[in-house]
Amino acid sequence: MSSILYHCTCTSASTASNVPPEPTLPSSAFAFHPLHALYFCEECDLVRCNRCVSVEVSGYFCPNCLFEVPSASVRAEKNRFRARADIFTTRCARNCFQCPHCRNTLSVVPSDPPEEILTQPRPQTTTESIGEPPFFLYCNFCRWDSQEVGIVFEKPTGLALQLQKLEDSLPDSLEFERLKDHFEPLLRSSSSSHHHTQASHHRNPITAAASSALARDVPGLHQPIRGISGRTYSNPKPPARANAPKGWDDWDSVIYKSRLEVAGSGVGIRIESELDWIKALDEGHGIGRVAEMEQRWLSSWTQSLKARQLQPLRIPLHSKKTKRCPDCRHILIKPEQKAQSVRYKIKLMAANYLPSIDVFVPSLVPPPPSGGSQLPKSKVKDAEDNGALMMQPGKSYPFQMTFTNPLYEPIQVRISVHRAPPRMTSGDAIPHRPPFGITLPSSAFPISAFAEAWEYEDDEDMFDEDDLEQMLSGNSSGGGLGLGADSRGGRGSKGHVGVLERKANVTRVGGEVLIGRDASGEVKFNMQVSYTYRAEDSAADTTSPKKTGKDDPAAAGEMKTFTFFTLVSLGSIAPKADTGSGASKRDSASTSAR
Amino acid sequence: MSAVPATPSRSSAAAAARADLLASSPHYTTTKRHSLYGTEDRIIIDPGSRVWKVGFSGEGRPRDVFVVKHTLSPVPTSASGVRDSIDEVEKERLMELELQDRLRSVFFNSLLADPKSRKVIVIESPLLPLAVKDMFARILFHNLEVPSVSFMPSHLLSLLSVGRVTGLVLDCGHTESTLLPVYASRPMFSNIRTSPLAGSRLTSHLRALLLLFASYRAPPTIIRAAAQPAVATRVPEEILTEALVEEVKAKCLFVGSPFDAATQPENDDSMDVDQPSSASTGTPSESGRSSRLSMSESQAPSSAASVSRASGSGVGSDSSFSTQEIHLRAMEELYKKHATATDIQMRVVPPPAHAVAAGSFNNARGTLTIPGWIRERAAEVLFEGGDIDERSVAELILDSLLKVPVDLRKTLASSILVVGGTAMLPGFIQRLHAEIIKTLESQPHPPASILSPRRGGQSTPTPSASGANTPPDAVTPTAVRFQHRQMIAPSPRRAYDPYATLRSIAPHIAILNNPSITNMVGHASPHALANAGKAPAFAPALIPWVGGSLAGALKISSEEVVRDRWDEAYERDQDAQRQELEDLAINTVTIEPETASPMKSPRKSQLRYRPPPAQPVGASIILEGGGLRPPAYSALPDWTRSPLSVGAPNVVWLAQQQSVPPV
Repeated sequence: MSSILYHCTCTSASTASNVPPEPTLPSSAFAFHPLHALYFCEECDLVRCNRCVSVEVSGYFCPNCLFEVPSASVRAEKNRFRARADIFTTRCARNCFQCPHCRNTLSVVPSDPPEEILTQPRPQTTTESIGEPPFFLYCNFCRWDSQEVGIVFEKPTGLALQLQKLEDSLPDSLEFERLKDHFEPLLRSSSSSHHHTQASHHRNPITAAASSALARDVPGLHQPIRGISGRTYSNPKPPARANAPKGWDDWDSVIYKSRLEVAGSGVGIRIESELDWIKALDEGHGIGRVAEMEQRWLSSWTQSLKARQLQPLRIPLHSKKTKRCPDCRHILIKPEQKAQSVRYKIKLMAANYLPSIDVFVPSLVPPPPSGGSQLPKSKVKDAEDNGALMMQPGKSYPFQMTFTNPLYEPIQVRISVHRAPPRMTSGDAIPHRPPFGITLPSSAFPISAFAEAWEYEDDEDMFDEDDLEQMLSGNSSGGGLGLGADSRGGRGSKGHVGVLERKANVTRVGGEVLIGRDASGEVKFNMQVSYTYRAEDSAADTTSPKKTGKDDPAAAGEMKTFTFFTLVSLGSIAPKADTGSGASKRDSASTSAR
Repeated sequence: MSAVPATPSRSSAAAAARADLLASSPHYTTTKRHSLYGTEDRIIIDPGSRVWKVGFSGEGRPRDVFVVKHTLSPVPTSASGVRDSIDEVEKERLMELELQDRLRSVFFNSLLADPKSRKVIVIESPLLPLAVKDMFARILFHNLEVPSVSFMPSHLLSLLSVGRVTGLVLDCGHTESTLLPVYASRPMFSNIRTSPLAGSRLTSHLRALLLLFASYRAPPTIIRAAAQPAVATRVPEEILTEALVEEVKAKCLFVGSPFDAATQPENDDSMDVDQPSSASTGTPSESGRSSRLSMSESQAPSSAASVSRASGSGVGSDSSFSTQEIHLRAMEELYKKHATATDIQMRVVPPPAHAVAAGSFNNARGTLTIPGWIRERAAEVLFEGGDIDERSVAELILDSLLKVPVDLRKTLASSILVVGGTAMLPGFIQRLHAEIIKTLESQPHPPASILSPRRGGQSTPTPSASGANTPPDAVTPTAVRFQHRQMIAPSPRRAYDPYATLRSIAPHIAILNNPSITNMVGHASPHALANAGKAPAFAPALIPWVGGSLAGALKISSEEVVRDRWDEAYERDQDAQRQELEDLAINTVTIEPETASPMKSPRKSQLRYRPPPAQPVGASIILEGGGLRPPAYSALPDWTRSPLSVGAPNVVWLAQQQSVPPV
């Protein structure tokens, strides 16, 4: 249905004028955001969105136990447990585990007490809540338990540390360290030899390259008899060459011996047997025994295909993020450190700076179901499908926009449809134009300042439903409030256009959309909104001179104007008359889905 | 546990250093190189076309692995050209925005890291379009403000992670299988080989097979439940969602061993049968299909591929489908005989229409039965050779071995490394090895085939069981035929045997990460045996990432682009671009063709017909720059931009030597 989104300039920064993309373009979806997702930088006087702010991690916490992991300790842990750093930096290092099958949180349960204890009731059992020693992890959802993969714990706390002993000896981390140890001496020796040749490189790169190419060991050239095995195995180096490997050329001469070879006794046999296993999978339930790809792919080591070999997962940490303006580095969002707290120390939301706008088309709002709950939902859906809640081509619809002022000062708002310059495509000579026309109030209209509820006078009574009717018929009494003097100027000819209602810090204005005869698709347009407000002196002091000078140098911080773009979508246009055929129905569904 | 066996070739100095290293405490490496704040770890991003792998250097496994929806391919150019140019600019912009979202999510959701203090290593496929590379750099520098970015070739990194710097690396990924020989850490880009037979082709092929041969039982309805179980029907297309096909692929599929029927040549004159019909009609655009069709044993595999092609693109007329169905049926006949795998039942979500109409329970699940032969033989599509444009994975390796310098052949042949997600299929690597050996050891075609030079490209013995129903569209485009003539020219007297010169190295073929080497004993040379299966048992899909992590930990990288340098180049290019845009605004019409041409991505043409490998494939990529979209920034190093220097290690060099100011 109808909605409104706000523009952030970051995606159109490359274009000179910060003009938003046309609403028909798909990239428009990336340029507009709901108001609640936007920030406002006071220094730059600009809206910022989640796509452009620079983010810093201010703290980590486990979403399960809410244990807060300070950044410093994450780093320290990372250095301590280098090989398995992933466990201790982005995973909860306490007791929190996920079920490898269903990702439910696992709970620690004790083993069943031995039979004899069960048979003879003991009064102490209730107080002994800890239970019997071999503890294991248990999934309350899918009933998986860690005993299946042989993971049991001595005590019910500090599970991660207990498990770490196991994980430290994981083959991938050991192999990785071994690889590093293999390459490091090679690197060191080759880098020292590199220094020697540096001078010649400086002297003449061409001759240096040539000589280095000539000096390269061409296999089979030095010793024609030397077989393929000689290259890498037992063959002594040609005497002319230095002893140490000189560079990358010589690295092949030092063979890396894997700790666990893929064809080695353990791994190779397992892989082979699993090939047979998957070949003969049980017809009915076999598929459930194969691990999902998502469950396997995080492991860099060849892992078993069998689902029952899956290990419990540590719960990934979440982070609290501080967001800064990308240009001036001022903080826009800073959360409180504590994991339990959901508050912010600093929070500069655009909703506190820009008027919020709601839009709706009265004639497209579904009528309240007369039969109450008896009306099945499918009927509403049918109505939508049939185009009852869509705009019909060739008709005009009034729509209303409600502006709410979050500022403590009254503002003057001016809105206009922003049309992009016609596309310069040579393929079709006619520039692309939207198949509908929008009429908006052309003159500025006021919105009163935001105030606490009890500060408003009793002027709400002035506008109730009757007044609205009156206004719609063109006989307005909208000028009742001090700032509404020129509201009548923006009145359209039919009376739908213009200020409809003013109430507290809310002003409702009307507009009109005329749908073209053969229009289709969505009714979306870019709307430019600019509002002028009188800054308080105190505020003027704190704001940067750049900001005040930009808009109105004469007033020197008195009146300020801020302009932003919004994307207004009013709904979709019903397809052409032949809605009876199924094909066009489907078409309309697909276009509206688009 | 012991280190490298003491070989005489190893220098005493290195040995000493090594012993010293091993003797030191396990904290040695951590205390030496990692500052208190731990920000020296680089961020390793392996952006696959379907699956991304991200993590920190120095760690044995990535922190996060996730599927991306949109592949990072440059916008395919439509033939109509000009009008689309604005749409294409828009598509590129969209791609960049999506990429930006993804990269931000990598830093902030997956890694929880501050990008401003992290150097980044992006693992690149050698044919990653420069436009995408630019996009990466632009986002990383401008939006995320990382201090430096370096792009490293995935094939080289893969070798690093198995402790080597020389080898023939086959990356069988989602969109493409890419083969690149690397010698002494230098990727031999001119010998690169690619084929579209990879994961996504397998997916579409599997989908076509499932549609035709799998059966589906609707969930029991209230009315029917009492009476009898639902009747098995054909699989409705709606239930075969992408996710489901991927699941079938990941959980049910495996690669069977090569079957023997194919090795008995039945009627060699099938070539002659093919010849006239192929010459009669057809359009060059059908080249890919035709050569497959004519070579193939039963035409089934090729037509399966075309079915999958059709279903993949969403176009498939009913009339053509029936013939394709015939081919698929023929394939079923053949494969069924050579499959022993069990059928599998899967619970699937019924299509919405059925669920509503039948009034079944909300969470009722239908049953999808997958025949065993599909599980075992669906991946055959990757091993079917003979098409010059779509080489099988085995042919990729052999082609590349043909091209590399002769004295490197044995070395490279015995250090083949297979990486990539598709290589994770159980049995893939074993089959690949068997397939290479089979191709090399099989008999060449009898001289009859010389009559049809265009058949020469196929190397696998391919008897034709149903050569009679030759498709009418079998034709060879002139380009392909021309190339074949070239290939065939040197040996006019003999049966065309493209791999004749390679036969002697059959015993030397060894796949480093082949898990089963038992059947090699007896045939293979001692050197091959010493290499095969000796790689560490890293998962093939993550080998490139592990290599990147290793390179980051060792502080080696390819040329690093520092932010200052990038900014400079960017400013320069922005100015030039602005100028260009102004020109564009003045006279749109005259410039239009030029603006359209850079948008034509060179990738597309490469897919159809790659330029002869003697000239770098990337030569055509240089087209980019100028036009409506941001030009390729000169700051970004790429092998397609500069001539490969001789001698000096150009791809991997030591970051320690660089005088990169710490940012």
